[in-house]
Amino acid sequence: MRQKIGDQPRIVGFLCKWCSYAGADLAGTSRKKYPSNLTVLKVPCSGRIDPLFVLKGLRLGFDGVLVSGCHPGDCHYQTGNYRARRRIVITKKFLEYLGIPEERIQASWVSAAEGTKFARVVADVVENVRAIGPNNLFNNEG
Amino acid sequence: MEPRIGVYVCHCGSNIAGTVDVEEVSRFAGELESVKVARDYKFMCSEPGQNMIKDDIRELGLNRVVVASCSPTLHEPTFRRVCQESGINPYLFQMANIREQCSWVTEDHDGATVKAKALVGAAVNRVYYHEPLDVRQVSINPNTLVVGGGIAGIQAALEIADAGHKVYLVERTPSIGGHMAQLDKTFPTLDCSACILTPKMTLVSRHPNIELLTYSEVEDVSGYIGSFKVKIRKKARYVDTAKCNGCTECEKACPVEVPSEFNLGLSKRKAIYRPFHQAVPNIVTIDKRGAPPCRTACPAGVDAQGYVALISKGKYGEALDVFRRTQPFAGVCGRICTHPCEADCERGKVDQPVAIRYLKRFMADYELKAGRGKARKVDLISKHKVAVIGSGPAGLACAYDLIRLGYPVTVFEAAPEAGGLMRYAIPEYRLPRKILDNEISFIRELGVEIRTNSRVDSFKEVFDKGYKVIFMGVGAGISQKMGIPNEDMDGVLHALDFLRKVRMGEDVKVGKRVAVIGGGNAAVDAARTAVRLGAEEVTMVYRRSRAEMPALNAEIEEGLHEGVKIHALAGPVAVLEEDGKISGIRCIRMELGEPDESKRRRPMPIKGSEFDIPLDNVIIAVGQLVDKTSLTRDLEYTSFGTVSVDPTTFQTNIDGVFAGGDVISGPDDVISAIEAGKEAAISIDHYLKGIDLKEGRPVRPERVKDVPREHIEKKIRKIMPLLELDRRKDFAEVETGFTEAMAMEEAQRCLNCGVCSECWECVSSCERGAIDHNQKDEIVEASVGNIIVATGYEIFKPQGIYEYGYGRFDNVLTALEFERMVNSAGPTEGHVYLKDGSQPKSIAIIHCVGSRDKNCHEYCSRVCCMYSLKLGHLAREHIPGVEVYEFYIDVRAFGKGFEEFYNRIIREGTTFIEARPGGVTDVAETPQEQGKLMVLYEEETGHNERRRLPVDMVILSTAIEPQPDVKSISRLFNINQSADGFFLERHPKLDPIATATDGVFVIGCCQGPKDIPDTVAQASAAAAEVLSLIGQGNIEIEAATAFIDEKICSGCQICRIVCPYSAIEFIEEKGVCRVNEVLCKGCGACVGGCFSNSICLKHFTGEQLVAEMENMLA
Repeated sequence: MRQKIGDQPRIVGFLCKWCSYAGADLAGTSRKKYPSNLTVLKVPCSGRIDPLFVLKGLRLGFDGVLVSGCHPGDCHYQTGNYRARRRIVITKKFLEYLGIPEERIQASWVSAAEGTKFARVVADVVENVRAIGPNNLFNNEG
Repeated sequence: MEPRIGVYVCHCGSNIAGTVDVEEVSRFAGELESVKVARDYKFMCSEPGQNMIKDDIRELGLNRVVVASCSPTLHEPTFRRVCQESGINPYLFQMANIREQCSWVTEDHDGATVKAKALVGAAVNRVYYHEPLDVRQVSINPNTLVVGGGIAGIQAALEIADAGHKVYLVERTPSIGGHMAQLDKTFPTLDCSACILTPKMTLVSRHPNIELLTYSEVEDVSGYIGSFKVKIRKKARYVDTAKCNGCTECEKACPVEVPSEFNLGLSKRKAIYRPFHQAVPNIVTIDKRGAPPCRTACPAGVDAQGYVALISKGKYGEALDVFRRTQPFAGVCGRICTHPCEADCERGKVDQPVAIRYLKRFMADYELKAGRGKARKVDLISKHKVAVIGSGPAGLACAYDLIRLGYPVTVFEAAPEAGGLMRYAIPEYRLPRKILDNEISFIRELGVEIRTNSRVDSFKEVFDKGYKVIFMGVGAGISQKMGIPNEDMDGVLHALDFLRKVRMGEDVKVGKRVAVIGGGNAAVDAARTAVRLGAEEVTMVYRRSRAEMPALNAEIEEGLHEGVKIHALAGPVAVLEEDGKISGIRCIRMELGEPDESKRRRPMPIKGSEFDIPLDNVIIAVGQLVDKTSLTRDLEYTSFGTVSVDPTTFQTNIDGVFAGGDVISGPDDVISAIEAGKEAAISIDHYLKGIDLKEGRPVRPERVKDVPREHIEKKIRKIMPLLELDRRKDFAEVETGFTEAMAMEEAQRCLNCGVCSECWECVSSCERGAIDHNQKDEIVEASVGNIIVATGYEIFKPQGIYEYGYGRFDNVLTALEFERMVNSAGPTEGHVYLKDGSQPKSIAIIHCVGSRDKNCHEYCSRVCCMYSLKLGHLAREHIPGVEVYEFYIDVRAFGKGFEEFYNRIIREGTTFIEARPGGVTDVAETPQEQGKLMVLYEEETGHNERRRLPVDMVILSTAIEPQPDVKSISRLFNINQSADGFFLERHPKLDPIATATDGVFVIGCCQGPKDIPDTVAQASAAAAEVLSLIGQGNIEIEAATAFIDEKICSGCQICRIVCPYSAIEFIEEKGVCRVNEVLCKGCGACVGGCFSNSICLKHFTGEQLVAEMENMLA
């Protein structure tokens, strides 16, 4: 299950369905190009993103996790993205405590109208994660 | 039941198959666990594609389905329905987005195929864990909210209302009609805009199913499709809408003029106004923006804007009435007030503050000259007698307010005449006796009894006479001593005694050389009085520098003018005597040190710098003290030697005794004393009514925040005419006052900051009694099933393109301004004038101003080409023989009848120039260009040479842009914005008026620039969508809600804090939480907040999401 494809960084993205997922769709509709390293999970709101998903993703062998929701203040569910923002901060601290580079979590706010921004975010995230190298944390497990 | 999964990979023509190896993905999927069949097909969403799935479900006994195709936003409902029709719960379906998020975003075929496999594998693993869910139904409330009363909102509201359903139509301006009401003609048919719009507006106002809420704004929206709850703020119009019949008599009475929004500032409207003739509803609205700064700056809260506005219209008597609503001393304050109102005057930010004080004086003088009718005696409705001790400004202001509340008031004054320091300290040349007499007799006429020569020695004697309350305003009448040798010898005078004696007509003599010690108003008054008494050399000795002198600057200036000299930075150390007579004073030079408590720099003596000034008299004016008499013996004092009172209530330590004025503050200005008297009057009223002194006191109105400063021509403040120097020998008044013409002109400089000046002229003009200045905003709550947002657009402000000269050159107009000009009901009644009043002979119309411009808006505003052609036509119609030049980039004549209209305009003789002008200038290069505006351009089709076209008028065809507050509107209704700022529709082609939020629709220009036919079509479409939903009665909504496993729940209730919808209840008897499924919106925020891991979000469970993630790496 943890087989890596090539030496590219593999990144899993959690996108809220109202803004970022729609933004990702818009990137496609406008034929913006971005690296294929990211595969996306759709969640109703960035507030649904459990810090455990991030840890689980890294545990599974993803090199990075992207969390993306509506711009602060624009949450479809009023405050979900504020929750997400706090949880990301805490999770980053936790990763740091575990000795994992905090860059393995990447967060951004992308609206439904920001297809171009989404493409740029993906390119940046891939670049940032590539810079810290592959996630070998759990390679030695039996 | 063991999962049996079918996987279907869509080619989407070449959209997916062109990049992704779909056969490979299908082959890969077929090998995954539990997958019974995997196929690929050209168009899965087509009928044969859907049937393929249905057949497999039936024949292979599938119980779960994965489709890998486009975004679920597009076809998830389609395939869920396929499942449902084949007997599978629609939630046992998952979609993999291999088009928008895979094939379309890369050109790398291998990469795309790997990614598609990962997404399909993930979907298969996820659907394995899916559980059947019940689809929830909600009923649709048949009421609809339409936001925005332009043509879009009007049309949608009418159609829904005609179908028999209730509509709330909310419009934030006083009338519906929107921008369409401002248009003269509509392209390409040239029918009159008002003629086709106003019948619809009237229909709206008469429609039994439409609740029209104008001058209202939606403040809060909660809920979801089918049952939204909205809060609408009905702003106070200050007019009873049921009584007002739109006669607009009040408009005639109102003295306040501000630029008309409807006519884009080309004409003025009143503070009470109906925006245009055909306004719906046909009623007036009072525009109140807050209290003007002059009013909030005034310690007594005098409504200066009110009387200034009335003076500007020549209504001097009414103006004085407005003043007297607050206090009685217009003539006094018009002369000696320190006018904090002028310091905060917004006009001062443009050029100079309005001469408020002089205007105040003017109206008082005018009354005196014209003769005043006797004031009507107030009916005394209270039996409680009030005594006022001291008839200075504090005491009389208090008496004035109390008598008007109906209390019998008696004023006790020790001196032979009333007025306190106003009478005995201010010299005649500043405040003539007759002015004060007039104002005091006005107070007497109201019913206040003033007993002069009546010294009061104890409060007890007053209480014993039956007075219930005492206000004491006895002032600070003792001159402060300096504590220097020989201070009490003959020839040393104290300012207050000196001034009083002069005022009382005693024979006061001064020598040739007089020094006045001090820098306050009393010092300057004493110095100038000494000059008038014949002193030849008057010197003011002041220990700080001239800049620190607390006296009014104009007074100091006049003193200097009259010959007074200032010896600054000098402090007296001794009065010198020779042969028992004063011979001079010894002073020491000072320098300024650090600032002291009064924030003024402290004077420090320079050692050994003593010097003598030979003199005949010294007048000491270094301060005044409160006289501790037998009367004030039992009162508490502050450390400054003043009587101590509560700062809010002005109550002393003795029950029933209040105090104000200099006796509590030390020497201060008249207006502060009046404030104290007024505040004490409020307390006394409360005291006598037996209610709390602090509660329920009138709240000071809030200062208006932003005062627009556009289009204001600079105009110099009128200068007060002064008596010539050689005529100042006696005590004739120095400032001779404004003439009537000066006063009116000066009053017209007022910016009317608060817009409504609260002069109440409208109240008396309204025969139906419809005006209510105390009206409050109202909140209307409504329950609706659907919301149609039609909030419209704003016109691009061409000031942003400096080179076109809008705002700099008189004859550069926006298209809408020109539109108003040619309108027969417009500001010029259909005539086109240049600023100088002549008619233009040539007009240039510049297209695409703000549109198709990377520096402004990249988009095309879609209407400008056609309206520019229309304006060209209208210009020719209104100005015979005018030459019209249209500067265009492309002429976009794409609509029905547009091309024909374009050809017609060409035939009419309009010149078309293909160029985007680089600018407009008024700098003439040839005599022919003199007085013209030159459009600078390079013709695209020519030889790229620079050209100049001299014209009389330039019209800018400005872009349509989103409303300035579009962001807050989008948040309010949960609508996304597209990159251009307009609202984002759910799908640009197939769902053009719906939004991402179910039950919220966007129509008209708030969704993007469009013309009237398109807007109306969208409005009808939205009505149809809403009516369809109402017709269905119920609608299915997402079943994905949160669920709490009560067996694990610890009852910590953190989820209840997290939930933004209060959808989680705590079950007391079980000690657990439970989700209310009706309220839950399915955001899942609670899940991450749950410590005991007892919450799951259906369809987005941890298990499902982790399973999805796991297979992504495969």
